[in-house]
Amino acid sequence: MTFSSYEFLKVERHGPVGWLINNRPDQLNAMNNAMRDEFETAWKELDADPAVRVIVHTGEGRAFQTGVDVTEIASDGVGMERYRESMETFDLRFTSWHNQVWKPVITAVNGLCAGGAFHWVADADIVLAASDAQFFDPHVSVGQVVSIEAIGLMRKMPVEAVMRMAFVGRHERMSAQRAYELGMVSQVVDPPENLRDEAQALAEKIAKNSPAAMAATKRALWGALETGLTDACRGGARELVSMWGHPDQTEGPLAFTEKRDPDWAELTPGDSDGPG
Amino acid sequence: MSYQTLKVERHGAVGWLIFDRPAAANAMDATMLDELEQAWVELDADPTVRVIVNTGEGKAFQTGVDVVQLSRDPQAMRVQSRRTRTATLKLTAWHNQVWKPVIAAVNGVCAGGGLHFVADADIVIAAANATFLDPHVSVGQVTAYEAIGLMAKMPVEAVMRMAFLGRHERTSAQRAYELGMVSQVVDPPENLRDEAQNLAEKIAQNSPAAMAATKRALWGALETGLTDACRNGARELVSMWGHPDQTEGPLSFTEKRDAEWAPMTGDTQP
Repeated sequence: MTFSSYEFLKVERHGPVGWLINNRPDQLNAMNNAMRDEFETAWKELDADPAVRVIVHTGEGRAFQTGVDVTEIASDGVGMERYRESMETFDLRFTSWHNQVWKPVITAVNGLCAGGAFHWVADADIVLAASDAQFFDPHVSVGQVVSIEAIGLMRKMPVEAVMRMAFVGRHERMSAQRAYELGMVSQVVDPPENLRDEAQALAEKIAKNSPAAMAATKRALWGALETGLTDACRGGARELVSMWGHPDQTEGPLAFTEKRDPDWAELTPGDSDGPG
Repeated sequence: MSYQTLKVERHGAVGWLIFDRPAAANAMDATMLDELEQAWVELDADPTVRVIVNTGEGKAFQTGVDVVQLSRDPQAMRVQSRRTRTATLKLTAWHNQVWKPVIAAVNGVCAGGGLHFVADADIVIAAANATFLDPHVSVGQVTAYEAIGLMAKMPVEAVMRMAFLGRHERTSAQRAYELGMVSQVVDPPENLRDEAQNLAEKIAQNSPAAMAATKRALWGALETGLTDACRNGARELVSMWGHPDQTEGPLSFTEKRDAEWAPMTGDTQP
């Protein structure tokens, strides 16, 4: 396993947990073009590392993330046009969903979460927030369209709240507590400085489960957002049956009976392809 | 336009569409059903209107089709019956393809067909004494459109419970808030219109063109699977690149002044 080096991210391992940390705290972790490229490298590195069972994504400093770097957009002479082709073909690579990461991903929102930051809330499997985290979407306040992030969120939480954020723009913020009530996040961590410890503890619980079963589960559940109910169940049934006969299905009950931790099969690249 | 069953008003940048048959709990008779289409089209076409608020006069928000008229004079409802059958209703902002932000301000009971206006609004706020119920099955009618719209936007069990309990249970404004069906409960209830106007004025400060493209992207996303929705949404997003609002927005922010947005022309539609 060769590890890449990063300028705008930190990529760390703590036990079976891979950490991907936004690391431009002075710019509130806004995403410049180089950081955008590093995201793809980092997700692929953590996904390919069999020692990593679960991935946590968070930010350094007082912001989780605040979208695209508008200073770069305004000053580099290229602006959003740099992203035209990738957006027109919807060929984005900066979230785990974009990169087809089938390991469980936890987003731990450590502070301000604005605009494009919702990409990583929408595309995570599980979302935690520090009690002082704040959520808002200022796109329409600067003449930009709210689209992909909100579309993802709409599948996963009450839609009215997403539309309110989209249209109110920078003139209102949502609290971590309201995000919890709405089911946008499943845990509010107070005091906020315990967020990383709580995320690590949660990730370690998840890391005890069968990697192959979780990958198939993740494909089944995200796949279900693509179709109507009956088709989603058909697709899910294929994922379910794909695990039958897998060694984890013997090891799981055996370990339980023998009161020991299961020794799961290593997730091989083939497992990640699904039943096809 | 003048209206018999609605009030249509402007307050600054905010257009108001107010159900105005308080003696009939704002039930929709044939006249109101016709006037609704005219009112949405009028407010949508008016460039001085940036945001629309929909509420009701009196104790009720809206209680659905006027069953008194339906039983006494079914011929009057003939056109609407056909539109119901063919899914070509024109009651709500969504039916009329209004791409300006729409806020429903639920001022009292919202029953049956009244839920159309909750399901099809972008933002919903409610007075603390507002209640929600769907009596269709209690009078031998099917619940369909309104509940289908709500199911796409909030926890489904709550919608099914309303559908099957009929007139025998009401959902409170507080529960609607917990479920994410509404985003704000206004207490005392008499402050509802002021709060709606405040909220609308905040929204009216944002780029009209960006909001129209956003609305098309988000409502369009309810039509397809996630990846297709993102693909379509990406087209709406890129459609604004190069629009003057994208320069004016950051500039006005830097200069600490209100943005002067380009007037809506309809040319942002991809």
